[in-house]
Amino acid sequence: MEINEEIQNGINIFKLNGRLDSNTSQGFEKQVFQAISDGSKSMIIDFKDLDYISSAGLRVILKATKAIKREDGQIMLCSMQDYVKEVFEIAGFDSFLPIVGTMDDALNAF
Amino acid sequence: MAKKEYSFELKSSLSELDTLCQNVEMYGKKIGLSKKFIFEINLALDELFTNIISYGYEDNSEHIIKITITPNKDELCLCIEDDGVPFNPSEFESADIACSVENCRIGGLGIHIIKKLMDEICYQRCGSKNLLTLKKKLSRKK
Repeated sequence: MEINEEIQNGINIFKLNGRLDSNTSQGFEKQVFQAISDGSKSMIIDFKDLDYISSAGLRVILKATKAIKREDGQIMLCSMQDYVKEVFEIAGFDSFLPIVGTMDDALNAF
Repeated sequence: MAKKEYSFELKSSLSELDTLCQNVEMYGKKIGLSKKFIFEINLALDELFTNIISYGYEDNSEHIIKITITPNKDELCLCIEDDGVPFNPSEFESADIACSVENCRIGGLGIHIIKKLMDEICYQRCGSKNLLTLKKKLSRKK
């Protein structure tokens, strides 16, 4: 999996490309938590080019959301492909995670 | 869909997830499964495989996990064979469906996903092996 990280208006944006599974989730977790410990309180995870997610990926997203909330920050998840969104739904995570349709929706939430 | 079964073996290492995915995609396409169906069986097998690697072995030596996919008339049958500690996922209590970020419990999430994606789960312990059979109905809808 490839992760492109950029900062726009003080928001850390992570663009995921490929597969977020138990093989790749640790690397992503490290990168996200590095940003949090560097003081990031606003984060967007862009799922547009993510083809696959498993429960290991869901765990990292949940951990990151908890960590950001503890810092009184905000995280937005955007542009999920149908199959990926379905995994969030099966897990019941769609009911409490901030999932929006597009990057613009995510940016407007801040 | 009367095509031959397909078997492959994976080593007990997380990096084998890519091999798993490639095999499932290649065979799924060959027998004409939809992209969604391939995604779902990939996910179920990934969750099981990851579980076996994470909790199944008490030593550090290399083990083999064998996967067999059998297309039947109106269902697809997946058989996973491993020599890890006895574990029956069908008896495992699924995670409660989460209701908030703060209260979310994530233990057992993988097994919850497998149960949601598959129509039937059957476990047998044969000697030193776990034999798990998963069945998923082939939808007639296009």
